[in-house]
Amino acid sequence: MNQEDTSMLFGERTRDTANSGYLWRNSGSPLHLSIPAAEYLSESPIQFGQINPNIASNIIPTLHQDSVFSFPPGFPPSLSPTVALPFTMSHGTTTLAFIFQGGLIAAADTRSSCNGLVACPASQKIIPVHSHLVGTTSGTSADCALWKRILSRELRLYQLRHGRMLSTAGAAKLLAHMLHPFKGTEVCVAATLCGWDGGQVDTHLLQPSSAGMGQEKNIAIISQTESQETFLSPAISAEHCSAGAGLGFSGPSLYYVCSDGTRLRGKLFSVGSGSPYAYSVLDGGVRWDLTVEEATSLAREAVYRATHRDAYSGNCVDVYHITSNGWTRRDREDLKEEYYREKEREKEKMKERKERQEGKDGPSSSGNK
Amino acid sequence: MALFDVSGYKNHLELRGNILGTGVRHFNFGTTNQEFAVPAGMDPSGFLKSCSREGQGGVSIDLNHGTTTLAFKFRHGVIVAVDSRASAGSYIASKEANKVIEINPYLLGTMSGSAADCQYWERLLAKECRLYKLRNKKRISVSAASKLLCNMMLGYRGMGLSMGSMIIGWDDKGPGLYYVDDNGTRLSGRMFSTGCGNSYAYGVVDSGYHEDMTVEEAYELGRRGITHATHRDAYSGGVVNLYHMQEDGWIKVCKEDVSELIHRYKKGMF
Repeated sequence: MNQEDTSMLFGERTRDTANSGYLWRNSGSPLHLSIPAAEYLSESPIQFGQINPNIASNIIPTLHQDSVFSFPPGFPPSLSPTVALPFTMSHGTTTLAFIFQGGLIAAADTRSSCNGLVACPASQKIIPVHSHLVGTTSGTSADCALWKRILSRELRLYQLRHGRMLSTAGAAKLLAHMLHPFKGTEVCVAATLCGWDGGQVDTHLLQPSSAGMGQEKNIAIISQTESQETFLSPAISAEHCSAGAGLGFSGPSLYYVCSDGTRLRGKLFSVGSGSPYAYSVLDGGVRWDLTVEEATSLAREAVYRATHRDAYSGNCVDVYHITSNGWTRRDREDLKEEYYREKEREKEKMKERKERQEGKDGPSSSGNK
Repeated sequence: MALFDVSGYKNHLELRGNILGTGVRHFNFGTTNQEFAVPAGMDPSGFLKSCSREGQGGVSIDLNHGTTTLAFKFRHGVIVAVDSRASAGSYIASKEANKVIEINPYLLGTMSGSAADCQYWERLLAKECRLYKLRNKKRISVSAASKLLCNMMLGYRGMGLSMGSMIIGWDDKGPGLYYVDDNGTRLSGRMFSTGCGNSYAYGVVDSGYHEDMTVEEAYELGRRGITHATHRDAYSGGVVNLYHMQEDGWIKVCKEDVSELIHRYKKGMF
């Protein structure tokens, strides 16, 4: 255990390429990160998998003292010649989140695109981090998935060490600081963290409650958490109570965190190539006193409009609702059906209006106003 | 004439031939005056690219289509709504620029892109429409007017023009709406929105549009589209200029400040 390893500070680059594949070993703090030897970082623009062949021969792998791992051939990756990226990646999505009286709504489409190819029409862009925090993701899918898992891990470790759940603000700060060393590289993560602080504490991180949004769902969560609290050790629960009393803020909060270092708190965010379309629909409809049904249909409508106009968003929509009891997930809906349903509804409404017009005007011909 | 010989007066066409020579790219639009002859070998768009941010050192003249304009057809005609902010980079050059050109009482043109290009070419279009009416004793159709503008753009394609405009009118075929672009794109459609705020306008108009709207509903929708776009887009703002193209010509409906309109539409949460 390198307690005196203060030289391996957050953000500092090391020549120790043996650590390149294993960044968070033996860390005294959750923010301990080591960056692989990076002459090529300053010399040439970062290109995925491509290294300056002159540098490769200079790097001598020095195994860390505590390391007992034998690296497979071809590892660390900077030593082996790698293939060039087969296609250029681009980031397209529509995600949104907002706060209202009933908690938070987070919604996203489900299309993963690669510059013109729909790589996956059923991806999941809203990832639960723990029972009271979900994160919407935009940018590179791989980066987002990885960093969300890292964030869940760090939040869980924090919870075990300190006996209370880190607030959304703290989680946002943690994520922003973890992403900071990669600023200027091709890591691309633009996430909104939607969480409820001061909610019921559970020892389990992820509660897969994907049944729908009925009342019995919420009751099920409450009973589950109550039963789990009995398993907490007395020391932790006491600590939790005192810490809980010390918590200043409880309620919904929404943070936008980006890999270029942005961290913003707000009440309404939309991220991605389809976000302009969603923003205008949300701006006109979001109020504090929406009911849960109105808020979910507004979120669905905003994603639907964005997927209608933006080529990189589409397929289905996921809607999550976060309250003091945790998050609940609405069943995934295919937006293609929504398009046809809307056309049907329009036809019906027009027929009704025409009938009403003819009823009012009687035998007169035109229905112009 | 003898006087011409004595005074040394030369016909302007002759003079032109002497000055410009034969190796010149001409824009022959069927008129014998006013053309822009570009010397052979000059590359305006390459020059412009070097002046923009991606080009070499320091100079940054970005021609963004910094505006929001929208137009949509519905049962009772065509609604045209535009903002009024003219920006030069990050400087707001005018907060009440006029982005709709009233070509004649039954034709309107909107402007987005480079203000100079739009104003010049649309005034030229107005001139051509008037000449058409005088020659043929009937109004020009919207389709023909948009085609004239499109051909003007094609004559200078690749030379760095920046114009995204919509031609709106009412002719024998009914209400007409065409989108014309500096690339030479010409599209007929039911709804268009141009400028960098267009995506915000699309979201609003798509969700509020139905074929048999009343006139008041259509006015509200046009206003809302521009207002929401100006709220989120930095390069749009000022006032909403709203026009309604009817069968017997266009009327100007209103000119309202977006900073007041946004309070009506945002329902007071933020």
